Amino acid sequence: MPYTVDLNTVIAMFPEYSFIGPLTPSEQKAAFHVKDKAGVDLCLKLIAPNYERDRLDREILALQAIDNAGVVKLVEYTFSSKPGSWRHYIVEEFIEGQDLQGSIIAGKPWLAKAVAGFFAKLCDGLTALRDKEIVHRDLKPANIRVRPDGSPAIIDFGLARHLALPDLTQTAAGADIGTPRYFAPEQFEGTKHDIDHRTDLFALGIIMYEALTGESPFFNAGMTTRAQLQQAVCHSRDHLIKTSFIQLDPRWCTLLSRLLEQERAKRPADAAQVANILRKLGGI
Amino acid sequence: MRRGVWHQCGNRSQKLVEEQLLLGAGVGVILSPRDLSRDGAIAYAKRYRTAGADVLIDQQFFVPDFTNAQCGTYPISKFRTSVSALNKISDQDLIDFQNELRIDHVAFKASAMIAPAVVYEAGRADIVQLNSRLFNAAKAVASELSIPIYATVVLGKSVTSSDQTMQSTLSQATASNCDGWYFGFEFEEERIPSVRDTIRRCCAAGLTLACTGKPALHAYAGPMGLLSFGFGATGVGIGHSQNLWQFTRDRWAPPSGEGGGGHAPPRYFSKPLWGTIVYPDETTQLPLTLRNQIWSPSPFNTPVTSGLPWSRWDANKHLVYVLAQQYSLMAAETDPRKNAKAAIALLDGAVNLHAAIRQANVFLTDKTNVYQANWKLALEDLLSNNSADFDFLELLR
Repeated sequence: MPYTVDLNTVIAMFPEYSFIGPLTPSEQKAAFHVKDKAGVDLCLKLIAPNYERDRLDREILALQAIDNAGVVKLVEYTFSSKPGSWRHYIVEEFIEGQDLQGSIIAGKPWLAKAVAGFFAKLCDGLTALRDKEIVHRDLKPANIRVRPDGSPAIIDFGLARHLALPDLTQTAAGADIGTPRYFAPEQFEGTKHDIDHRTDLFALGIIMYEALTGESPFFNAGMTTRAQLQQAVCHSRDHLIKTSFIQLDPRWCTLLSRLLEQERAKRPADAAQVANILRKLGGI
Repeated sequence: MRRGVWHQCGNRSQKLVEEQLLLGAGVGVILSPRDLSRDGAIAYAKRYRTAGADVLIDQQFFVPDFTNAQCGTYPISKFRTSVSALNKISDQDLIDFQNELRIDHVAFKASAMIAPAVVYEAGRADIVQLNSRLFNAAKAVASELSIPIYATVVLGKSVTSSDQTMQSTLSQATASNCDGWYFGFEFEEERIPSVRDTIRRCCAAGLTLACTGKPALHAYAGPMGLLSFGFGATGVGIGHSQNLWQFTRDRWAPPSGEGGGGHAPPRYFSKPLWGTIVYPDETTQLPLTLRNQIWSPSPFNTPVTSGLPWSRWDANKHLVYVLAQQYSLMAAETDPRKNAKAAIALLDGAVNLHAAIRQANVFLTDKTNVYQANWKLALEDLLSNNSADFDFLELLR
């Protein structure tokens, strides 16, 4: 259930901003497009009262550490609790444009050159995360904004994990959080120790596959249970024999099959390596 | 990481290595505390650099509680303790560990840092965590010194015995954000590993590391280095001593007896046989035509063709020289598939030559004819089963 706050309430809480309108909320955050006094567009996110502070701190830490056009920028984080006044919010760069979700359309594959260009830049953002030992863990089209110039920005670090810090997940296994459609095998069947930067590369592979072929490598409309998806992601090789896949340039097949390897050791070493390949394939 | 032959110094081999470098054989040297006191090693490192080689120090924490008189001259030896004790190393001690690494690498003017690590074993999450911790500590120092950091991946027998264990261990070991790999394999006890499946599995593991796009140095390769450039390695570690021909914990076991082969006759390393033959006991038994076929040129084997006495040290030098020449040829070819095919051709010739020797009723005492056929089959398996890996390497080139 998304966390929502009435617009009039929030306008009263934040007189320093002009409110343009609400944005798509998540379970943990209500989001609004605002302008500050200088007229700069920003994204104001109010934190749900039940949101884990530790996890939010991680998100803030992750965002503060990164300065890359491929990753949304943090502008401000405030937590203040006074009698009669309680404010807990973050302000991020407002990214004009839309989610990638609107551009990944079943049956409408992108041109290979467009895929190479867009995903090479997306890999630059993932490389910035890798450099800071951060795993996003929920990379999906809805968490990738497309700027007006067509370049991507990764958003929503609510599930990000900092590999150099102890994990916050309380469950025994701890790998199973995120969005199953973009899960890597280790998110279905592994433990939290199995999650690393290559988990994001698997999600990247799924999104890239969707963009290039116009269909998901694993998910299909006939699936009714999570177990079916898990079986496909963890054990099936059918995505390598789909017609839309085998018709691709063999170099794309090599790259995609590598990104979608079930063993992490077999995936590309990191996003920088993928970016290099994509630039050889025509990406800018 | 320079591409080519890296001399892996063992006991009493420092001068031999220098001589090889001056002959143009080799691009680097790997020193280790087990074999030479710190002051001596620093002096040799300087001489090796003068001879044009890069220098690395392998701190050899593989059997972490091993120590000897030479090891004791390195301040880092205070951290030589059991795996369980290392697992409990405090953050403060880790800072001290980093200081010792820093001091050694500055003194040796090492071209890169090999992160200390213990041998990976199946199902040992504690070792994965320990190695990760040691790697991160070493990486911070390497970064401060502006030298590359190589993650050490030495896979124990419990790992090399199954495909699934190998891949899952590699998934954990390759999580490190390193600049290159320093890797080796432990096999079942054999003078030279010969089990086809195990060889194929280790080649596949080497190929997986090469597919990371980072340079990979196959340590403790010895004659097996013939396969290394065929699975995408950048460098191959060689030495004359048999305890450097594969990763073996015997190297760190307490010495028993004289060692070094006692008064045994020299072994002649033949490139066409890709193995050794006892000189002169066995070579003189060969018919002249076969004898002519096994010779390999080197600056150290002049007496051999005349049947004159030959020293074991010259035999050692000959071995290292012949290996280095062959590996340098392969290093000049950057296409792993071509290198694999070249190795297969050489091994095929060796199998045929060994068959001819058997037909001449000469039986080699060291059983040095038991592995060539399986190495060849393992490489053929690799080329057919791992074509996707080779394709990916091609995409990276």
